[in-house]
Amino acid sequence: MGIFKHKQASSDDENAEIEQFFDENFREELRNHGRWYFEKIIKENSVLFKEDLKATIDGVAIDLKERTESQLDEVIVQINSELKESVTKQLEGQFTEYSKSAKEAQDKALESLTTSAEGLEQQHKDLATTIQKSIANQSLMLESLFQENMTKIAAVKEANEAALQSLNRSISELEEQNKHLSEALETKIAKQEESMIQAFESNMAQVVEHYLLGALGDAYDLKTQLPSIIKQMEANKDAIAEDMKL
Amino acid sequence: MNYTEVKTVTFADFKLPESVISKLDISHMASEVERIDNEMTAFDVRNKDNPDAQKVQPTMSQNLTDFIAQNNLSLDDGRNRTELIKELRLLNDKVPVIHMTFSVEADPESLQQLSRWLRESVHPQSVISVGLQPSLIAGVYLRTPNHVRDLSLRAMIAGKHDALVAELDTLRVS
Repeated sequence: MGIFKHKQASSDDENAEIEQFFDENFREELRNHGRWYFEKIIKENSVLFKEDLKATIDGVAIDLKERTESQLDEVIVQINSELKESVTKQLEGQFTEYSKSAKEAQDKALESLTTSAEGLEQQHKDLATTIQKSIANQSLMLESLFQENMTKIAAVKEANEAALQSLNRSISELEEQNKHLSEALETKIAKQEESMIQAFESNMAQVVEHYLLGALGDAYDLKTQLPSIIKQMEANKDAIAEDMKL
Repeated sequence: MNYTEVKTVTFADFKLPESVISKLDISHMASEVERIDNEMTAFDVRNKDNPDAQKVQPTMSQNLTDFIAQNNLSLDDGRNRTELIKELRLLNDKVPVIHMTFSVEADPESLQQLSRWLRESVHPQSVISVGLQPSLIAGVYLRTPNHVRDLSLRAMIAGKHDALVAELDTLRVS
């Protein structure tokens, strides 16, 4: 007991020492340390949790994508096969209708061609008969025309001979006239030449004046003419002075 | 020139400067003196009460300046100016005119030379009336009050027409 008591006493002391050691400040420090440690653990775990969550979401997304694609492929294959069957059925129905109507049209065209061929054969026969008749008429007409033309050609030949004789006479007459005419023309040209020369001579002053006027133009100005003018006026000075006095 | 001098100098005594060539020039001079007279009379009337007012010299053409200088005239007095206008108009009416027709446009220098010759040789107050006739070719066609003188090249050629024809005949024969 005593031991235990002692022990108990010592444990009370220890407890007192412990309590003294674990005072409020130390406890506060421990709490702070524990809070910090807890926060640190929480942060590390949250980072790890985020990474896990991200990896999980990526995996789920890939799986979902693969699953959706496989489902879509199956659906598309199914729809394609159904559509193909439906279109094939429709096309077959339409082809059957088209071939039927085409056959009917061919039959009608064949019938029409046969009828036209018969008509043409009949027309050909009629035409051959008409042409034969026409050829017979034409040969008769040609024969009569040939006879008429023969008589006309004979008449034309006679007329040509007469015209040729007349032309020969005219040519000789024309030659004679030409000779007279050229003689008269030569005489007239000579006379005209003479009269032109006479007219030229009589109008020589005008011709020379015109030529001089064109040649001198404005180049021969008054300053250039002045000595000559004064010289001429000097020659007539007395007469001019006399006129001015009157 | 004062009033008494004007009374003694008539238009017959006027000497015309070389630059005055035609009757039109004399007429212009008369009109110009008339204008100057109007301006100066108006000035005298406006400054009647102000005898010290500065007189403004009227602007004059070269013809009139030469004419006044050559004849020793003055335009200061109103009566002188009136007399001068009258005499210039008389001169314009009485001046002897000689009509000269040329083949080309007459330049002023040549006309001055001709008028100088006329005033020295024919009449000291003679003036020229100028005409233009290109068909004259060269030379002058003169017309005085009583006579006409064709001193042009055209007249000369026409005068030698027979000689030219004779020469052409000679050429044809040869």
